[in-house]
Amino acid sequence: MGTGDTRARRAALTAALAVAAVAMSLGVSACGSDTVGGGNTGEVTVAKAGPVTGNLTISNWPGYIDPGPKGTVAEFEDKTDVSVDYIEDINSNDGFFGKLQPQLEQGESGGRSIFVVADYMAKQMYDLGYLQEIDHADLPTVFKTLSPGLRSPAFDPERKFSVPWQGGMTGIWVDTAKAPEIRSVNDLFDPKYKGKVTMLDELRETPALVMLAEGVDPAQASVDQWLDAIDKLGDAASSGQIRRFTGNEYTEDLTAGNIVAAIGWSGDASLIENENAEWRMPAEGCTQWMENMVIPVGAPNTAAALAWMDFVYRPEVAVDITEYVEYISPVQGVKELLAKRGSDLAESEIVFPTEEFTRNCTGQITPPDLEQVNEAWQDVLTG
Amino acid sequence: MSLKQRLVPYWLLGPGLLWLIIFFVVPMYFMGELALRSGSLTTGYTFDWAWSNFPDSLSGHTEQIGRSFFYAGTATLLALLIAYPLAYAIAFRAGRFKLLLLFAVIAPFFTTYLIRTIAWKTILSDSSPVVSVLQTLSLVPPDGRVLATSGAVIAGLTYNFLPFMVLPLYANLERLDLRLIEAAKDLYSSSRQAFLKVTLPLTMPGIVAGVLLTFIPAFGDYINAQILGGTQQAMVGNVIQSLYLNQRNYPEAAALSFLMMALILAVVTVYIRFAGTGAFMGDEDEETA
Repeated sequence: MGTGDTRARRAALTAALAVAAVAMSLGVSACGSDTVGGGNTGEVTVAKAGPVTGNLTISNWPGYIDPGPKGTVAEFEDKTDVSVDYIEDINSNDGFFGKLQPQLEQGESGGRSIFVVADYMAKQMYDLGYLQEIDHADLPTVFKTLSPGLRSPAFDPERKFSVPWQGGMTGIWVDTAKAPEIRSVNDLFDPKYKGKVTMLDELRETPALVMLAEGVDPAQASVDQWLDAIDKLGDAASSGQIRRFTGNEYTEDLTAGNIVAAIGWSGDASLIENENAEWRMPAEGCTQWMENMVIPVGAPNTAAALAWMDFVYRPEVAVDITEYVEYISPVQGVKELLAKRGSDLAESEIVFPTEEFTRNCTGQITPPDLEQVNEAWQDVLTG
Repeated sequence: MSLKQRLVPYWLLGPGLLWLIIFFVVPMYFMGELALRSGSLTTGYTFDWAWSNFPDSLSGHTEQIGRSFFYAGTATLLALLIAYPLAYAIAFRAGRFKLLLLFAVIAPFFTTYLIRTIAWKTILSDSSPVVSVLQTLSLVPPDGRVLATSGAVIAGLTYNFLPFMVLPLYANLERLDLRLIEAAKDLYSSSRQAFLKVTLPLTMPGIVAGVLLTFIPAFGDYINAQILGGTQQAMVGNVIQSLYLNQRNYPEAAALSFLMMALILAVVTVYIRFAGTGAFMGDEDEETA
C-alpha cells in the first residue's frame, strides 16, 4: 500500500462529503416551506364526468365484491369500455389512510380513482382536502335508489363527497362447535377462553363494544371512560386472555380453528371457511357502520369512477353484490329481488336488520380527545 | 501515477456514491429534519428544533426495544448454531451435491418474505400436526400453543434470516486452506483443538458478517411479530409502524427510527471491536498478522 493510495482514498472521501453537502442543500431548498402537512388548502374540485372508457383503479376491502370472471367487476367491464384494476388493499381505515396520506398531501392518489372508507374517515379526508366533490346530476341511479335513511348522514348531510358502498355491524363471531354459549362481549373475558379470543384493532369498534358491555353509551362517554375500557383491554392482552388484535385476519384464525370467538364484522361469512362459525349480535348491542365510495384528489379517470358508482346502484347489480358479500346494501329493492330469487338472505337479520334487532347498537363514535385516547389504544396494540 | 490513473478510483466509486446519496443521504436528511418538527396532521408539522421528540419517542417503548434485542439476539444465535454445521457440511462434505444444497439454501427466496411468513402461520396453527408432535414431546404444554407466542416470532426470525448467515459462512469456509488443518493434526492437535484453534479463528470474518447480516435486519423487523406474534410480542418496528401509520406522529416515528439506528450502530461497533476482526473494517494487516 503506497501513500498514493491513501491520498486517493482521502480525496475520494472529501469528494463524497462535498457531494453529500450539495445534496443536502438541494434538499433544503426543495422543502423551503417550514410546514409540511396540514391538508390541501386549494380549491375543492368536483369530479368531472365524461366519456366512460380507459382504465379505472378501485381500492376496496377484501371480500367486498365478487372479483371473479362472473362477478360484478367483470360485468362492468363487459358493459362499458373500461378496464378495471380492482385491488383489495384496505385492511383498516387508519392503516390505509396512513399509507396514502403523504401522497394525498401532494394531491396524488397513487393511481386510484375510488377508495372505500368508513364515515369518519371519509369526513377526515374531506376536511383535509383529500377528496373531490360529486355532482348528483352525474349519478342519476344512485340518487334514485339510495335508501332514504342514508341520504343525509351527519358527517355529509348533502352527500357531497361520499356514496355508501355497504354497511354492517360489529359483533361476535363464535365457533358454535367449540363455544356455543358465548353471547356477549363480557363472555369473551371469561378465563375459560384464555388465548382463544381475538379482537379488532379498530379504536371505534373494540373499546366501544367494551363500553357497551359495561353499560356506558360510547356516544356520551368521557375520555376517562374510553381510557377505562382501553385499560381493561390492555389487562386482558397482557394476561394472555386476548390472543391477538386483528384486522380481517381474524377470519383466518376462525378458519384454522385457532380461536373460539372473535370480535368481527357481520358480513364476513364469505371469508370464513368454517361451517360452525356464526355471527351473533352481542347481548349488550353492537356498533353499526357504513362504508363509502369516495373519489380522491388526483384521481385519474373520474368519469369512469362516477360510471362505476352509478352502475353498482342498479338494483339488479346491487343484489348480486349482496348475495356475494352478505353485508347491508344501501340500495332499495334488494330485499325484494333476493326474495324473488328464492335466497334465504332476504330473511336474514344480518343483511336486513330490523330496528328491533339493532335497538342497542351505536354508530362509530370518535372519542373526545382523539389523540390521547388513540395513543393509549395504540400502546395496547403494540403491548 | 498519471492523472488518468489517479481518476480511476473516482469513476469506480461514482455509481455507488450516487446511489448512496440519492437513496441514503437524502432520505436520512429528510428524516432527520422530520424528527425535529412538531405538530399534528390537521395543523401540519412545523420545523422548530423539537428535540423533545427523541426522549418522547422512547418513553413507554423501552419494553419493546428490550424485546427486539432479545428476539433478534436469540434468532441470530440460533441461526449461527444451525448455519455453521450446515455451511461446513456443504463446503467440505457435500461432494457433488454441493450446488444442489446451496440452491436449497437460496430456494426460499423464490417466494416472497411475506408469503413465507404467512405459510408459517398455517404450519404452526393450534391444530397442526407440528404442534401435536411438539405437545407429544412435552415441548409445548398440552393446552398450550405455538402461534402468537415469543417462540413463534423467534422461530420466524431465525428461519427468515438463516440464508444470510449460511452464505457468508459458506463463502468463508469454502476458501479455507485445508492444509492448515492438516498441519495442526501433524502437530498432534485433536480434531476439537484443530477446529477451535484453526478453523474457527479463520472463519471469524464469515461469522461476523453473518451475525451482522442477521441481527441488524432482525432487530428492525416487524412482519414476524405482526403475523406470528400475539398481543405481547410487538417489536420496536411495530411501534414505529404504529406511530407512523396509526397515530400519524411522523416526527416521533422518525426520531425513534434515528435512535434505533444509533443504538444498532453503537452495538455493532462494540461487537466488531470485541469480535476482534479488523478484516471487516478493511484492515487486511490485522487479519494476516
